[in-house]
Amino acid sequence: MKRDERRTIILFLLPACGLYAVLFIYPVISSLLLSLYDWDGFTHRRQFVGLGNFSRLLGDDPMFWTALKHNLFLLSVPTAIILAVALFFAAALSSGVRGARFFRITYFFPNVISMVAITLLWFFIYNPNFGLLNGLLGKLTARKVSIVWLDPNHIMGSLVAPIVWCSLGFYLVLFLAGMENIPHTYYDAAKVDGANAWQQFRNITVPLLWDVITMAVIFLIIGGLRIFDLIYVMALGYPSEQSQVIATYLYEQAFNNAHMGYGIAIAVVLFVLVFAATAIAMRVMRRERLEY
Amino acid sequence: MAASAKNRSLARSLGLGALYIVLLGYAALVILPMIWLLYTSLKSNREIFASAWEMPRAPHWENFVYAWVRAGIGRYFLNSVFVTTISVALILVVSAMAAYALTRFSFRGNRLIFYAFLAGLMIPTQLALIPLFFLINGLRLLDTYAGLILVYIAFSLPFTVFVLSAFLRTLPHELAEAALIDGCTHTQAFWRVMLPLAQPGLVTAAIFNFLGIWNEYLFALVFISSERLRTLPLGLANLLIVSHYESDWGALFAGLIMVMIPTLLAYSLLQGQLTKGITVGALKG
Repeated sequence: MKRDERRTIILFLLPACGLYAVLFIYPVISSLLLSLYDWDGFTHRRQFVGLGNFSRLLGDDPMFWTALKHNLFLLSVPTAIILAVALFFAAALSSGVRGARFFRITYFFPNVISMVAITLLWFFIYNPNFGLLNGLLGKLTARKVSIVWLDPNHIMGSLVAPIVWCSLGFYLVLFLAGMENIPHTYYDAAKVDGANAWQQFRNITVPLLWDVITMAVIFLIIGGLRIFDLIYVMALGYPSEQSQVIATYLYEQAFNNAHMGYGIAIAVVLFVLVFAATAIAMRVMRRERLEY
Repeated sequence: MAASAKNRSLARSLGLGALYIVLLGYAALVILPMIWLLYTSLKSNREIFASAWEMPRAPHWENFVYAWVRAGIGRYFLNSVFVTTISVALILVVSAMAAYALTRFSFRGNRLIFYAFLAGLMIPTQLALIPLFFLINGLRLLDTYAGLILVYIAFSLPFTVFVLSAFLRTLPHELAEAALIDGCTHTQAFWRVMLPLAQPGLVTAAIFNFLGIWNEYLFALVFISSERLRTLPLGLANLLIVSHYESDWGALFAGLIMVMIPTLLAYSLLQGQLTKGITVGALKG
């Protein structure tokens, strides 16, 4: 019986643990080690450079800092918009407006479309010649508008809309689920005390939803740091200095320039950034929460 | 008194009206691009450039034929169906077995293994990407579905094991015990008793893995290089890059519609499941 049990445990765990160890844990550990080497990936010559890749990346590579700046922009501006709008919509839909189900289903829809398809859609919307946006502006101003939305000076700003568009619904649904758990009696009591909608939102909904909001902020920050598909496809595979982000820069260094060790160092920095940002967000949000 | 009450209800209905305008406005932001996409896909290249707004004079259905056949969307579509189906099926079996072993039995290393999977949820895939490329290359699995599917399974494990463990923990273990007493082996108890009971958890895990893999781009970009093996996101992105120079835009619009239709269908059928599972699925983000 006992031996049978042990055999079952091994048999059941082996496929998952084997695949996970070989294809996930091993490459992750390799990354941490290989980031210390100078390596083109195709020859066996690897040269140990210690922290050389990192000091070059952080001290002597303006492109990395440009990319990081773009990531910070893409994780802060859309995050602020998404949080505000999704909270507002969730509060509105949970207050029992008619058609709440229709709005929820419609708003969530972009979340299931592939990022590549969303990029293509917005690529069309922004097209200077036949795009929906210039067409709309042309209708409103009654003259031909041909703004190049994706040119180097506008591209960062133009990326905000697709990011908000494709992920708003997810956070709306998340907040709606959280709001369903808030007991209705709190609101009833507040109404008796004469609290208006804003006061109820500010003093009941937000504090009781704080854990969910914290989780949303962390997801949004991680998403903003890891962003790849949208930038890579929008830039037709070759992001310029004006749109490069960390993940596309990593790809370029590793797979276009064959700087594997350097690419891995970028990946390690990305990992550290994700970790640090998560820790900071948790810390900051926890302090906020103590006020209540 | 009466006047102020009237004012208040007027203010409220004004407020409600404004709220509806905002809600409908955002709904329009989601729906209008889709409608625009739909009728633009039926325009000729010249009509597309003539005006962003006007309807096509006669529908150019050949855009769809061109996209499906000559631009290869048909092939990419079937490729994606194949890769996604096999991957999701294997992910569910492998993860369910592991989750069952981890929740059903107590043994040394149990917690360690569980936390090792959990840690994977926090690691960005890019951290493993480059060594993984050389590993797959070394196994001679580069540019094969076997390689891509194995990678998809490995990277879906943290989320799926986590979700299924959480679900299996809620099931009464007495049922498996009873099956054992009735003469089932552990394997039989798992397949015949626990797995059917875990169906709602499996469905949630299947939906999120389906969406994740159907839409996945980076791994496919790195591991697949042959034109005939491209998955849908890979093929579509490549069409954009090619089209940008050849500019057959009608076909590209048509291709985009065809990519979205199965997602739209699956979504309209499963949206209840999907939004219910979101608090669990959230962890995958």
